[in-house]
Amino acid sequence: MNRKLAGLPSWFLQRVGAVFMLLFVLFFLVYFLLYPLHSYVEWRAWVARPAMSIALFAFFAALLSHMWVGLRDVLFDYVRPASLRPMLSGLLSIGMAGIGAWLAWILLRAQM
Amino acid sequence: MQLSISRYNPELDAKPYMQDYAIEIGPSDHMLLDVLIRLKRQDNTITLRKSCREGVCGSDAMNINGRNGLACVTRIATLKQPVVLRPLPGFPIIRDLVVDMTGFFKQYHSISPYLVNDEPPPETERLQSPAERDKLNGAYECILCACCSSQCPSYWWNPDKFVGPAGLIQAYRFIADSRDRATDHRLDDLKDVYRLFRCRTIMNCSEVCPKGLEPSHAIEKIRLRMMDVQVHGGLPTHSTSSAGLENKS
Repeated sequence: MNRKLAGLPSWFLQRVGAVFMLLFVLFFLVYFLLYPLHSYVEWRAWVARPAMSIALFAFFAALLSHMWVGLRDVLFDYVRPASLRPMLSGLLSIGMAGIGAWLAWILLRAQM
Repeated sequence: MQLSISRYNPELDAKPYMQDYAIEIGPSDHMLLDVLIRLKRQDNTITLRKSCREGVCGSDAMNINGRNGLACVTRIATLKQPVVLRPLPGFPIIRDLVVDMTGFFKQYHSISPYLVNDEPPPETERLQSPAERDKLNGAYECILCACCSSQCPSYWWNPDKFVGPAGLIQAYRFIADSRDRATDHRLDDLKDVYRLFRCRTIMNCSEVCPKGLEPSHAIEKIRLRMMDVQVHGGLPTHSTSSAGLENKS
């Protein structure tokens, strides 16, 4: 992506992610009120359902992207000198991608 | 009337300091600028900008009891005493209440504050419908006093990269103008992470605007235009009559 145009997509991503997370948390609360899970085995079976794994991954992807935009904004607002910002932003991206990969691995293992 | 004024002479002072004054206000003194002009007759070393004395030129913008405003339209009856006057925050101080606005106007010029239209000019003027003209309301009235940008934390942190609310409401004024042909270029120019998207919607800009304008809504409408959402009508405005009253407690 052209770096000069990077402000709008990240701003939009943060807001779309926030709406998705809100809807998912509401679904999560209502679901567990109606169908409470009482044991590790029940939890694991619930997470292992492919649709639920995908939904959970989408939730955490939204959470991580929301965090990435927010933390990057903090870096861009306050870090001095400004020349350090791209490097710190890159490290932040790597960290977030690592957490996302770890999460994907956990969800994949639940399928096995 | 009791005043406490920030003083700074770069040739004599290492840093700004506050100096207290007591002055008898005259029968014709209604606005803060009237008192400051009277005070300058007592102490002619006090330095401030002023010109039109009626809220049109924006020269006498300053921080009045912690809130930016124009001295010429701030009623003294509404002010809590001692009235604490400081230069606009976040701007380099030249002397006393006078700040260096070079960076502010550099950001203003960066948004190309003029109509861009290479089409052959018509025999008369370029016409607009009343609805098209309405879209400029709430934006064209900006007098570039810098009260908004100087009260914006995002502008304090990145004054060289973030255009600031004053520049952005001016940018919107040309984006919304039906006669302008550079809309796409103007929107692309603001899409990076700094120029518009440092705005955190703190809304200090709308809070302190002495003309009652709302730059935060201009920024919101620019974002909508970037997403190809058409916006109708002008920007909202608010009354400034209560702004001075909030200073009194």
